[in-house]
Amino acid sequence: MLPRMHETVRRAGWRGVLGLLVFCVSGAVAAAPPPAVLRLSIASEPPTLDWSLATDNVSITVIENLMEGLTAFDDQLRPMPAVASRWDVSPDGLTYTFHLRDDVRWTDGRPVTARDFEYGWKRLLNPATGAEYAYFLYDLVNAYEYNSGRLTDASQVGVTAVDDTTLRVQLKKPIVYFPSITAFVVTFPQRRDLIERYGRRWTDPGRLVTNGPFTLADWRHEYKVVLRANPAYAWGRPSIDEVRMYVINDRSTALTLYETGDLDLVPLPPEAIPFYERSPEFVRVPILRGYYYGFNVTTPPFDDPRVRQAFALAIDKSEFPALLKGGELPTNSWIPAGMFAYNPAVGLAYDPAAARARLAEAGYPAGRGFPAVTAAYNTDPVNTVIAENLQAQWKRTLGVAIAIDNQEWKVYLKRLQTQPPPLYRLGWGADYPDPDNFMALFTSQSGNNHSRWSNAGYDALIARAASTGDPAQRQRLYDDAQRILTEQDVPIIPLFVASQNYLIKPSLHGLRLNAMELLTLKEVSIR
Amino acid sequence: MSGPMNRLAPAVVLMIDRLVWSLPVLWLVATMTFVLMHLAPGGPFDKDKTLPPEITANIEAKYHLDEPVARQYARYLGQLVRGDLGPSYKYADRDVGEIIAEAFPVSIQLGAAAFALTVLLGVGGGMLAAWRPGSWIDRGALLSATLGFSLPSFVVGVLLILVLAHQAHWFPPALWEGPRYIVLPALTLALGPAAYVARLTRASLIDVAAQEYVRVGRAKGLPPGVIWLSYLLKAGLPPVVTILGPMLAVLVTGSFVVEYLFSIPGMGRFFITAVTNRDYPLIMGVTLVYAVVIVAANLIVDLLYGWLDPRMRVGSERGR
Repeated sequence: MLPRMHETVRRAGWRGVLGLLVFCVSGAVAAAPPPAVLRLSIASEPPTLDWSLATDNVSITVIENLMEGLTAFDDQLRPMPAVASRWDVSPDGLTYTFHLRDDVRWTDGRPVTARDFEYGWKRLLNPATGAEYAYFLYDLVNAYEYNSGRLTDASQVGVTAVDDTTLRVQLKKPIVYFPSITAFVVTFPQRRDLIERYGRRWTDPGRLVTNGPFTLADWRHEYKVVLRANPAYAWGRPSIDEVRMYVINDRSTALTLYETGDLDLVPLPPEAIPFYERSPEFVRVPILRGYYYGFNVTTPPFDDPRVRQAFALAIDKSEFPALLKGGELPTNSWIPAGMFAYNPAVGLAYDPAAARARLAEAGYPAGRGFPAVTAAYNTDPVNTVIAENLQAQWKRTLGVAIAIDNQEWKVYLKRLQTQPPPLYRLGWGADYPDPDNFMALFTSQSGNNHSRWSNAGYDALIARAASTGDPAQRQRLYDDAQRILTEQDVPIIPLFVASQNYLIKPSLHGLRLNAMELLTLKEVSIR
Repeated sequence: MSGPMNRLAPAVVLMIDRLVWSLPVLWLVATMTFVLMHLAPGGPFDKDKTLPPEITANIEAKYHLDEPVARQYARYLGQLVRGDLGPSYKYADRDVGEIIAEAFPVSIQLGAAAFALTVLLGVGGGMLAAWRPGSWIDRGALLSATLGFSLPSFVVGVLLILVLAHQAHWFPPALWEGPRYIVLPALTLALGPAAYVARLTRASLIDVAAQEYVRVGRAKGLPPGVIWLSYLLKAGLPPVVTILGPMLAVLVTGSFVVEYLFSIPGMGRFFITAVTNRDYPLIMGVTLVYAVVIVAANLIVDLLYGWLDPRMRVGSERGR
């Protein structure tokens, strides 16, 4: 042992001794505490950090920690003042005036002004930007016209910086949830000077200028994103100094890194949940993400609402949690728990006798004479489990044999758009936590309504609810619409609402996990 | 001609020959990839949230996807000739050239380490087994080779992580921060190829050892070292070298499974994700890089071949 140590010392030589000295001296002089570093995993490389182009959850999570918008959600997902200290709505509900704080600064010291918002919104709507989420602002006057190329003059779009701290927004129709839209990343302010100087590389580390709790320190593509606390953050510097977000595609790998102490926070893969459920580090948060089966209502046998009702009544959804183990909450209604207008009393609950009766009424007693149909889903283990379970339940309760078929995601999406299968699986995650985001999905004009179902009464209810400020009245409108959707016409069967499952190190405090699947890190501390 | 020139000239001829031929090969690869890509249903901007048609039109105009396919093809080839692989559709702020320039070196590092292990374990193991055919060493080597060859890398990788990282803490379980981080993924990547090389080396050496001239050499009392170096290896290695070329190409272009399992920012992942994302320019980019590497690896093999086995020299072939 000793000779080996001698050897090491000899080899290290003077450089080692010198290094040791420097280390001791600097330790004695600085004695600074080690930086508080939070290490977590993200499921993929952020496709972009340009908030006009971001559409995926990973990019949005990173941007949310770099930026502040006009409004921000509180724990109950209500929009609260952020860069806007307050806002007024005109009596007709068509004009929103946002009053901005004058003490919010970009990381290069320039104040954040209403002009930065106006520029960002018009850039989002500029057809040349090619922004997927441009339609978030389609309710603004002339926004659709400008984005679709029917109008080339951007100054006619309904957003104007009246002065540095006043932003006026004109809407085509009154939208009561508009302050929820202004909490979404695509409406965050942007710097015209920097975007014009750097082109599409303005989001590179060293160039990206932000106004939120953290700054972008490093971005090694496909590997990690490093954020650093912004000392000039208007709401006070975050307690942690650095956030390292590692791109870890495989959840089992992330879990191993958590176990070896290399990560502080990981999403838990479903198969691992039973082993950690009782751990004090386990946290489960229901999220605003619904899972459903839709019918193509234009072709037999599902053009008959009684058949659709029978299929909905025949499903015992209480079987799902044991099958999936991820904290899925079975649901009969479509607006998810945690969102305004959630009503568990709406929808068709499991009732095998009623299901059989309804199918017999439609001309298929005990499933006799029922045509061959196929339920389609995109290739995924969870989808397979659900499809096989539904296949068995429909066989057991209704006596009908349904074939199941899966396809690769993009192939499947193309099929939904061009030739929807008789029965298909899909999901929906909230873009903004308002029931409009879930309910407008099935209106006649919606590009996401693959059922091809159309009900003028439903469309009218959704349009009215979007403009109704009185909560009780709004709740009634959505209840009525949900009854049409899930009890009467049944173009879809809501199955369950998903949950997120995490392991979090006990040393982490103040982490806010919300139903929008966003990780807000500014209040996190490590003790 | 003088000696060195005599040896060098065929190599130069071969290289020029291959470079000229590689152009139509690359064109064919680019064209076939382009056609296959556009035949696959679903496009880069089909998502679970369907976009309004006006927005789809804006995006298609931005990437020239609204043009007829023939025009897109011409545009693509034109860009390619200038060395421009175009913008990625999935990674909005980046060009395919940049993406590959960042990811490929990582795959090369990992692949080179795995290749070194492959040669070391494969050729070494094969020699060891061929040394005393039928002995317990031979059987042990064969058994490990069969195991290594038949276990898929995601099983080997998980086992290595479990035992050497999670339990023993000898190596980090994943990530890419320094030399220690290369060991487990390189081993995972190398085990399959090494097993294959070991079996091939063993078979080839045993085959050569049975040849008459080797038996004569032994009978004349040549020392074992000479027999091994001048006879066995010189004659037995060319078949091994033949497969090492393509193997090198496969290893340095990255492995989806290993990069995924160990969270390594290499290029292998794009062979899968670019296709699932229908990121056309990125699919083309990685396919072309792969084709170039295969062509290059085969060229190296041919050059090595000529050096190892004079009968195979291109020049002598042409001279006849």
